[in-house]
Amino acid sequence: MRNVGIIGIGYTPVFVSKRKDVSIVEMISEAVDAGLKNTGLAPEDIDAYVFGNMATFEGVNMPHLWATEHMHARGKPIMRFATGGTIGMAAFHGAYYHVASGMADIAMAVTYEKHSEGDAQVGLMGIITPELMAMLSAGIDVTGQSGMGAIGGGSAGGISFQASSYLHRSGAGIEHIDAIAAMERRNAAKNPYAHLKDPEATAEKIAQTPMVSWPIRFGHICPTTDGATVCILASEEKAAKIADKVAWVLGVANCASDATTANLIDSQITDPAEQLPAIMASKKACERAGIEDPKKEIDYVEIYNGFAHQTLMYLEKVGMCEVGEAHKLLEAGELEMNGRCPVNASGGVVSTNSIGTSALNRVTECALQIMGQAGEHQVEKEVHKAMAHGWGGLMQYCTITILGDKPKKL
Amino acid sequence: MEEIKDTFLHPVVPLDFQNNYRVGAYLQRYLDGFKEKKILGAKCSQCGRVVVPPRKYCGACNLVMEEFTELPQEGTLENFTVGHVNLEKGQWKRADAPYVIGMVRLDGAANAMLARLNVSPADARAGMKVKAVWKDQVEGEHADLDCFEPA
Repeated sequence: MRNVGIIGIGYTPVFVSKRKDVSIVEMISEAVDAGLKNTGLAPEDIDAYVFGNMATFEGVNMPHLWATEHMHARGKPIMRFATGGTIGMAAFHGAYYHVASGMADIAMAVTYEKHSEGDAQVGLMGIITPELMAMLSAGIDVTGQSGMGAIGGGSAGGISFQASSYLHRSGAGIEHIDAIAAMERRNAAKNPYAHLKDPEATAEKIAQTPMVSWPIRFGHICPTTDGATVCILASEEKAAKIADKVAWVLGVANCASDATTANLIDSQITDPAEQLPAIMASKKACERAGIEDPKKEIDYVEIYNGFAHQTLMYLEKVGMCEVGEAHKLLEAGELEMNGRCPVNASGGVVSTNSIGTSALNRVTECALQIMGQAGEHQVEKEVHKAMAHGWGGLMQYCTITILGDKPKKL
Repeated sequence: MEEIKDTFLHPVVPLDFQNNYRVGAYLQRYLDGFKEKKILGAKCSQCGRVVVPPRKYCGACNLVMEEFTELPQEGTLENFTVGHVNLEKGQWKRADAPYVIGMVRLDGAANAMLARLNVSPADARAGMKVKAVWKDQVEGEHADLDCFEPA
């Protein structure tokens, strides 16, 4: 394995509800060309492409082949990942493996979602079949009112079990979910590539939004976004020649447990907020990155939070604080951009969710913080090491990427 | 042997939806041309090839195509197939009569278009010259270009 660094990032000019002016592949090309422009690379410099998107959301099953010319990939190796919410980071890991193994010197991860052209809820119904079967085995009548109530809100309904369990175990209250959602919408207002922005957001305002499935309110839920993101990775040798600033990949890991909201492990129902995969993936990625205590060594975190409670819950799972401590850090202001443990300065997934891009944006946002290029949402403290977290697939698949400002000693 | 029962899970999707694929900027220019019964292609500034319908990139040159150009309405039938069935609600239905679908390369175009041919299967020949036939009323939709017929 050799060192790999992020040398360039490309976003679509905006992340919004409906891109009416472009087709799916035209939108993808905007991010691809932005990535090339930002790095000064020509299309022929890219050796391999790894594509990520969830086919069921738009009903387009082979978007990477449709987009081949639009990403200048004709005649080059392409593969596609479709792992649910984690897609973006799975595609990033795929590109990383290409370069780390020596199969490519420069690889591009290309991700998108154009939610306005399909229906995310319909897409989710096609994804959660294992979830439904697991609910059956948990004794829930998924064909009747109670089961449909749980999944009637789509993933919001499903996730309410996780959120209520998190509150119960941590001692946090719904007011903390309101407060973290408000913080992230305020952060989003400083990010030109965020979707839901509210510089005036407060916990009180979020608390006034309608209840969907307790304790999840409308204000805790991500939007559906149209957008695309690319990330360009290069070997240490190439990176030194091409880029002034590089965010180095120090460690990656991913991990799954059995399907279901109920977090079945070895066919036993456990705590839906236990999220063993997050704990295990973080441990593995830290081990690979040579990090003993993320609390002390990681300066910045991007958490995949389709639902606002997840920022707090996953900070505990990935080891950035003790169990039951995240909401206290929030109360103390430590999670803010000028805090000791800044998280989701980008606004997180709860502010912007073009699903294919969402887990990749966690990585690219960590990279921007390390490179010092996050602009108005650059955090106050110096970022030497950062952790990006991805969640989704069903309820129990997590990815972790750890980046640093220096390459790893091999 | 125990009897195998047909017990299924039928989750109800309480949603009524359809996908809405935007045609994008390039196909929109093409369809706008239909309102004047014009067929537009995109021309690559490097290799000079014209593709129809227009698309954003020339794959061979990896370049954005910025020039739109009108193509003649005549071309060559390059190859064809003869359809004997239609698909209706996912089921095959015998067509009233066999019909010709072919690949038509407009004069000056680098690629062929797929089109219905108003010619009997017995008379269809690869290499024959054909011309576009428009509907009387054009709306800026794909269906405006009704078919091709022998020139």
